[in-house]
Amino acid sequence: MANHEYAKQGEFKPIDLLAVAAAREVNDQDVVFAGTGLPMLAIMVAQLTTAPNACCIYEAGSVDGKPISLPSSVGDPRCIYQASIASGLSDVFGQLQRGVVDLAFLGGAEVDKYGNVNTTAMGKYGIVPEKRLTGSGGNSDINGLAKKTVFIMVQEKRRFKERVDYITSPGWKIPKWPSGEMVHKKEVYNNAYRGGPEAVITNMGVFRFDENGEMYLDTVHPGYTPEDVKESCSFDLNISRVSGETLPPTYKEIELLYNTIDPEGIFLP
Amino acid sequence: MAKVQKVSIQEAVSQIKDGDMLTFSGFTIWRRPMAAIYEMIRQGKKDLHLVEVNGGTHSDLLIGAGCVKIWESCWIGHELFGKIGGNLSRKAENGEVVIEDYSHVQILYRMAAGALGIPYMPTYASLGTDMLNPEYDHLGKLGLRDGSNPKIPKKKYEIAKDPFYGSELVHIPACNPDWCIAFVQMVGEEGTVRVEGQLYSDEEAIKASDNVIIVAEQVVTEDYIRREPSKNLIAPHQIDYIVELPWGAHPTGCFGCYETDGAFLSNFFSSTRTQEGLDAWVDEWVFGVKDFNEYLSKVGFERLETIRANPALGYSTKVKRGKR
Repeated sequence: MANHEYAKQGEFKPIDLLAVAAAREVNDQDVVFAGTGLPMLAIMVAQLTTAPNACCIYEAGSVDGKPISLPSSVGDPRCIYQASIASGLSDVFGQLQRGVVDLAFLGGAEVDKYGNVNTTAMGKYGIVPEKRLTGSGGNSDINGLAKKTVFIMVQEKRRFKERVDYITSPGWKIPKWPSGEMVHKKEVYNNAYRGGPEAVITNMGVFRFDENGEMYLDTVHPGYTPEDVKESCSFDLNISRVSGETLPPTYKEIELLYNTIDPEGIFLP
Repeated sequence: MAKVQKVSIQEAVSQIKDGDMLTFSGFTIWRRPMAAIYEMIRQGKKDLHLVEVNGGTHSDLLIGAGCVKIWESCWIGHELFGKIGGNLSRKAENGEVVIEDYSHVQILYRMAAGALGIPYMPTYASLGTDMLNPEYDHLGKLGLRDGSNPKIPKKKYEIAKDPFYGSELVHIPACNPDWCIAFVQMVGEEGTVRVEGQLYSDEEAIKASDNVIIVAEQVVTEDYIRREPSKNLIAPHQIDYIVELPWGAHPTGCFGCYETDGAFLSNFFSSTRTQEGLDAWVDEWVFGVKDFNEYLSKVGFERLETIRANPALGYSTKVKRGKR
């Protein structure tokens, strides 16, 4: 039966832990911008447990929907069931620029030690790109203008880089154009500066950023050591501040994920 | 005010010239004017310049079929049913299509400035990213910002101090496409447009464009659509052509009418990973049928019935979406 005890290793899948670890970043009454997939699962877990008053905005234009069936993307009609408003990009991105978004969940193909994220291209970029990806979407705008952002990513050595191939989304140290000099985000965003990447959550651990905007390992997921995580990182990851092991999902959270949030198995295996 | 013409999809699309700049309604895999895309491919359009708030199945197909020269946008893919726009990636990596990257807000504001009749819009969005890297100003590098094409701004962007509070922002140039092709649920016979569900960036796209083709699930009497003007989005004087074409967004979805045809999109994504695959797909689904009605017959009644939306919810309750 469902209860609030933590599941033991082997009783949950890595994706369950990702969704739940992300959900723990949501405070009650937060205004949350979430994208398709895991971010949707995370905000719904939060709303059904510790943050019932969190308001979810999807970038296609739905505000505070109460879907009774999991949306398969942010443009899905399911997003606006019992929403307060169904508007459009102009409204919701305007709210983001206005500074009302507390937290956003994002994904990416590559991340660097300052939290710069790439979703545009791998390898050499130019008029003829080496390997074109999907593009920025709202990633860069949201990471630039929300008070806090949390990235959910796959842990791989080639994805955790000293310097991403293309800065799609701004981290703590970014280029000040047109010169391209790397400076603190505060200097580039001036009056619109209100924060930046808070955490990166992968299938191996939870990473946060120090006073200099550099990534460090905060918690490791059950089954891994800090050294394992450092090994899966191209840059010299700081593991001196590890605070312990990531809390596993509870039985109740697992039940919510599989029976209430995604019973059709759209994102969950 | 010029009268809106009700025409066939063939007639509407025949007005578009090679090299024209186009934008569309919808969001990723929702409410895309797919019937118009099929017809553009059938009519062999060339060198099109797409500027869109985001791409999706419609633009990935048009690009794959060789109709497009320049794509200015921020994202392309098929959501859950195909993580990237594989045809755009291939065409760009082969040097056959030029990409100019903006972020979601930046490209939205290009359209919004165009809709408001002003030359640019300031924003904080995406400061400090490679979208502002002069190395990646592709149209500039190709010498296309010389002013000879009035639709291409002389600069990709400008970073400037605002004159009132002293903050630095990105100034994004307006965009006024030659055409917007929008798929909507309902239009009045004189051209009043109603959009239901999320509005995405339809209003900006339609108002920014010089010429507008509305393809609608249903054309209704003006009297009916004007009974509740607060539900309407666009007035007739901003519309040029209307086309009535039920299911015209298939395989993308349309709020209140039908669900995205996910299996169809997955199949499109996986079978068009190569140019040969794309060509075969186009031969089968575009050239292999004489018009959109024949396409719908090929898709089949049963399939369409499964994705038809439940009116109480705006989506289908019959379609199998997940793995369980």
